[in-house]
Amino acid sequence: MTALRTIVWIDQADGAGSELLGGKLGSLVEMTEAGFDVPPAFGITTAAFALFAEHTGLQQAAKEQCAGLDLDDLQAVERVSAQLAQIIEDAPMPPRLTAEVTEAYEALEQRTGMPGVPVAVRSSGVSEDLEGASFAGQYDTYLWVCGPEDVLRNVRRCWAGLFGPQVLTYRPQDGVPVIDGDTLPGMCVGVQQMVQARAAGVMFTLDPVNGDRSKIVLEGCWGLGEGVVKGDITPDRFRVDKVTLELLASEIGTQTEEYGFDEATREVGLLAVEPERGAQPCLSDAEAVAIAELGKRIERHRGAPMDMEWAIDQEGRLHLLQARPETVWASKPVRSVTGDGAGGAAVDRVLAKFMSFGAGTTGR
Amino acid sequence: MSATDATGSFLSPHAVATPPGAEGWEQLYPYYALLSEATKDVEERELWFFDGMHNPSPIYPFDTIMTENWWVACNQLTTRVWQIPPSWGIDHRIINGYLYISPRGVSDPQQIAERAEHFQRRAGHYYANWDEIYDNWIVKAEDCIGRLKAISFAPLPDREQESFVTEHRGLFSSYDLLTSYDRLIENLFEMGAYHFEMLNLGYGAYLTFKEFCQEAFPGITDQTVARMVAGIDILLFRPDDEVRKLARLAVELGLADLVRDTADANALLAAIGEAPRGDEWLQALEAAKDPWFWYSTGAGYTHTDRAWIDDLRLPFTAMRGYIDKLEAGEDIDRPLERVLEERTRITAEYRELLGTDDDREAFDQLVQLARTVYPYVENHNFYVEHWHHSIFWSKVRELGDVFVAHGFIADREDLFLLHRNEIHSALYDLIIGWAAGTGGRGPTHWPPIVEERKRQLAALREWTPPPALGTPPDAITEPLTIMLWGITTERVQEWLGASDPDASELRGVAASPGKARGRAMVVTDPEQLHEVQRGDILVCRVTAPSWAPVFSRLGAAVSDVGGIMAHTAIVSREYGLPAVVGTGYGTQTIKTGQLIEVDGDTGVVRILQEGDA
Repeated sequence: MTALRTIVWIDQADGAGSELLGGKLGSLVEMTEAGFDVPPAFGITTAAFALFAEHTGLQQAAKEQCAGLDLDDLQAVERVSAQLAQIIEDAPMPPRLTAEVTEAYEALEQRTGMPGVPVAVRSSGVSEDLEGASFAGQYDTYLWVCGPEDVLRNVRRCWAGLFGPQVLTYRPQDGVPVIDGDTLPGMCVGVQQMVQARAAGVMFTLDPVNGDRSKIVLEGCWGLGEGVVKGDITPDRFRVDKVTLELLASEIGTQTEEYGFDEATREVGLLAVEPERGAQPCLSDAEAVAIAELGKRIERHRGAPMDMEWAIDQEGRLHLLQARPETVWASKPVRSVTGDGAGGAAVDRVLAKFMSFGAGTTGR
Repeated sequence: MSATDATGSFLSPHAVATPPGAEGWEQLYPYYALLSEATKDVEERELWFFDGMHNPSPIYPFDTIMTENWWVACNQLTTRVWQIPPSWGIDHRIINGYLYISPRGVSDPQQIAERAEHFQRRAGHYYANWDEIYDNWIVKAEDCIGRLKAISFAPLPDREQESFVTEHRGLFSSYDLLTSYDRLIENLFEMGAYHFEMLNLGYGAYLTFKEFCQEAFPGITDQTVARMVAGIDILLFRPDDEVRKLARLAVELGLADLVRDTADANALLAAIGEAPRGDEWLQALEAAKDPWFWYSTGAGYTHTDRAWIDDLRLPFTAMRGYIDKLEAGEDIDRPLERVLEERTRITAEYRELLGTDDDREAFDQLVQLARTVYPYVENHNFYVEHWHHSIFWSKVRELGDVFVAHGFIADREDLFLLHRNEIHSALYDLIIGWAAGTGGRGPTHWPPIVEERKRQLAALREWTPPPALGTPPDAITEPLTIMLWGITTERVQEWLGASDPDASELRGVAASPGKARGRAMVVTDPEQLHEVQRGDILVCRVTAPSWAPVFSRLGAAVSDVGGIMAHTAIVSREYGLPAVVGTGYGTQTIKTGQLIEVDGDTGVVRILQEGDA
């Protein structure tokens, strides 16, 4: 048992891949190793979850509850989901896990020089984030978690999320449900230092509207990136040419609210933005280009279009929070501009161009 | 006067009022260039847009030779030679002294199909043999220029030289004068034909590549497409390169202080002549002048566009700037290697982003063809508008001296107030007067006409030509109109909506990227260029590539007319100057002294605050 890796730091993964860390954390390991500025994080690995499941009888309970469960019976599914969540919440944590998570959190306090450092706790499932089978948004994320006890509490919530009704009923294309009773899916939970974002958002290294790979499109908002991810804040949008890194267009809206830590409720919530700041773009043109440049480097590193989350901290430093392969356009037929049958020879195309001027269109 | 009416049309060309003091202006121009009652219905149905790119000011009667040339030379290729299927070329009218042009389309499908067959074969031949044809084009152009240089004009002698007698020549100075003039005019029409020989096809190949890129990479900027194609050995940059060399030589020879402190060009030349080793520099200047200082300060289409060789102020101003930079330890060489590396990198990266092998194959071929045609597209300007036309104007001035010597006009420049066909008559009058000893009718006939025309032109200059007149078509489809002037259906719609002279925002073509704020300097006459101060934003009807030395002092440039393939756009990009062209109303809306902002990425110009001066 001593070889069991229950805690893995993203900058000391030592060969640990997504088997142990799930897709999300595994990707951050890769980004960190490639030298990108990812805030420090550790994963409570799939091995830790397996240990918990075994230790608490969760594995057995899940097998029994899911056996013969009619996935079309929503009430039954919700009942099973609630029962399993209750087990996860109530079961005693293996002492080894409690000690190791606490130790790791304290190490993070040391590294950041911040006692009680706020962290984001999020699940990183093994089947998640894989190209063509994105579970994005189906797992929970808990922000601004402080102290080892709260971390552990939210780790349990992430584990419980694995048995949410939407996961239990999810059927991938091959028809086998994620929870098939015999084995539990691998589940890692990432614990990452929160970036106290001045502005944050998402970025695609292609144009998500038409799949054009020569563009990088980013959306950002004031404060934490939750507003963009959840979609309840209308973000500023920037389009950058991937080759020349010129800012081609920006659409700047007025933002009246931002996500941030609310001192009153002690949790992340919507806060009012002063009107003067809210009317300003959340990024300067140069910042937008710098973020796009980061996206370009990451795409080049991964060799495929990517979907990323980024944040700019109060000092103006840019951080990479998430990086996963883009899945929508990756699963579509390759975009082609020569499918019009105009012939390959350049001169034929030019002649066709001249012919088309009179057709009342600008031609193809 | 409102530029548009309620029906979504522009003002009728026939409803344009004559500016006060310009009454009778029509007599400056040939009848066929004027609007007429007989063709009124047709003229009102067409869209006419102001060609300020080539003729920003009212045209001098003689200078119509240029517009009349391309009225034939450009159109004959479109309509009779290539038979570009959907185009019937571009019609011309002179309205209040300004050139308005009208794109004409072919709509009959059968006619288009018939023309297409010929077009395919003929244009295909040129594309297939482009390099060879272009090499030969250079030979023809240089030969034409050589023959132009050889033409000379001299006043007729009181007594013919005796050699005419002893050599039994039988032909005398009157014949030489008459035929030299004919050769001069023929020479212009010859070069005028070469001008367009490959132009439509060159633009078409480039445009096809551009549109391929725009379809593959929606939103890619025109500048970026141009960067993938543009070469580095562009002749238009050579004059400025020569100035850099002269600056370097001046520093080496210890002449830098002299150049900096002597503002007057002639005084500077005299002072350098007396300085030790000054003769070395003067020799280098002479070597650079021909051909590189035959470089027009305008589009080259009017005699008022003086060349560097006539007026050394512009190159010397630029040279002072380079000397300052050299002495500050800066590198003044154009970063050719970097430009070339960037071209390679950008092209490779876009190629990589294409989805299929077919796409990449088409891209490779199109970029190759665009690069093949581009040297002609870029370099014909130097051969034709700069080198040839600058010499042409100097020859007309030489002829002007002949008329002055015979008392027909008071000043050589007055000759430009006569149409070329009137000069033909005047020449015959002159040789009659010489042969018969009567002095001819000219000395009393022409001076009052010249004076009246000067007054009329001055009145016309006070009038601001609206960007468009007449009725917009459903769509602009004439290739050159779109490629060269940047006149598209969308642009016309913007003009229809944005003709309010009080507007604080103008839209045009984003011709060169970047943003800049600064004091507006509205220039309607190249003379005003010398008043431009560092950081100013130039606002003009049209910019010319040879203004480049002034560009280095500018914050940005804005013009009323021009498309992305216009001369200006090419040079602005090279000099890294934000530029918005084709605003339509820039010189009308913006006033010198206002604080304005130019966004060369989006093509928007904003007036931020009124000037204090």
